[in-house]
Amino acid sequence: MAIALVAMAGLFLSLYLTLYKLGLIGTLACGSGECETVQLSRWGDFLGLPVAAWGVLFYIGVLALALLGLAERWEAAPRVSISLVGLTLWGVAFSAWLTWLELYVIHAICRWCVVSALLTVLLFGLSVWDLRSLTRARAQAE
Amino acid sequence: MATKRVDPRGGHRPGVVKQTAKGSTNRFFVLLGLVALVGVIALGTLVARSRANRVVTRDPSLPAVKAEGYVMGSPSAPVEIVEFADFECPGCAQFATLTEPDVRTRLIQTGQARFRFIDLPLDIHRNTLTAHLAAACANDQGKFWPMHDAIFSVQDRWNTQATSDPRDVIDGLAKQVGLDMGAYESCMDSRKHLARIQANAAEAARQNIPSTPTFIIGGKQVNGAIGWDEFKKAVDDAAAAASPAKTAPPAAGTVADTTRR
Repeated sequence: MAIALVAMAGLFLSLYLTLYKLGLIGTLACGSGECETVQLSRWGDFLGLPVAAWGVLFYIGVLALALLGLAERWEAAPRVSISLVGLTLWGVAFSAWLTWLELYVIHAICRWCVVSALLTVLLFGLSVWDLRSLTRARAQAE
Repeated sequence: MATKRVDPRGGHRPGVVKQTAKGSTNRFFVLLGLVALVGVIALGTLVARSRANRVVTRDPSLPAVKAEGYVMGSPSAPVEIVEFADFECPGCAQFATLTEPDVRTRLIQTGQARFRFIDLPLDIHRNTLTAHLAAACANDQGKFWPMHDAIFSVQDRWNTQATSDPRDVIDGLAKQVGLDMGAYESCMDSRKHLARIQANAAEAARQNIPSTPTFIIGGKQVNGAIGWDEFKKAVDDAAAAASPAKTAPPAAGTVADTTRR
């Protein structure tokens, strides 16, 4: 449940950044804000999509898996928990790469991107904890 | 997900069942729905507020724009469009490549408006000053606008992320637009127009320009790059507002129509 709530929060954060990138929130403008510097840099897009839109897809994926894991049919299935750990691990790696770019290449820190990175780390931690709980429960049951 | 427990009583799967009460699950979905609702309302409010703030009425107590800048179009055009722009700003490049061609052919060349570009190189863009200096040097040879277009068209090749030495690319653009390279290089090396660019940037500060690109069209301020339809409406509104009063063109000495294309 905690994973779903955090993923929902992350989803709206990345939606906000995507809408900004598309010029629908605020303006696609260059001010003194470092978020703008990062968003409008050449690394603001990845494989033809805004990085923030990848964030939207990531959080939707995590949310879907988290809700799937709540369903009676899947609640004890380790596949869902393992998928969550895998997906959030990928998210952590991607966030780490983006943070490295901000610090050492773009030389600007987008605070919303940092919040998203922290949410991703939190999701990874919760997913690992969830998988461990499930594994222990299964072991005890056996 | 973190609610699975061993149920000593057994369950639908041997040994592992959910212990979460149905009421608890319901509360969770209510909470999730509330988070979603708050998110939707917040984003909707931001979008609506952004649309409302994009074209705003200028504070009438602000002084008239006095910076010379670079002008395209007829001095007798009823509307003046002033753009404060930074050559390294992607939003400015977006406007220059997507909207400005229409503005030129449908508003400037038809005599409905004239366009004034005012330098606003931002500190966050390390290579932008070189581009502004190059455009000013091109202006010496009557080629500001071709240089302006060339600089914006390949912004990603000379910006801060692309290189630490933008001169290579920008000098190539100068050659491409047909500048006398001897005069151009001398102008660039001496930073001949630095004071002019700084004066233009100071004008932006006087006008409370928050970011680039920003446009002043009549009594309105347009914040950010906008599409053709929105832009045309702003010009039409300015023309309508100016028409009954037969507003005089800007005061003598404030318009330098030396760089018409």
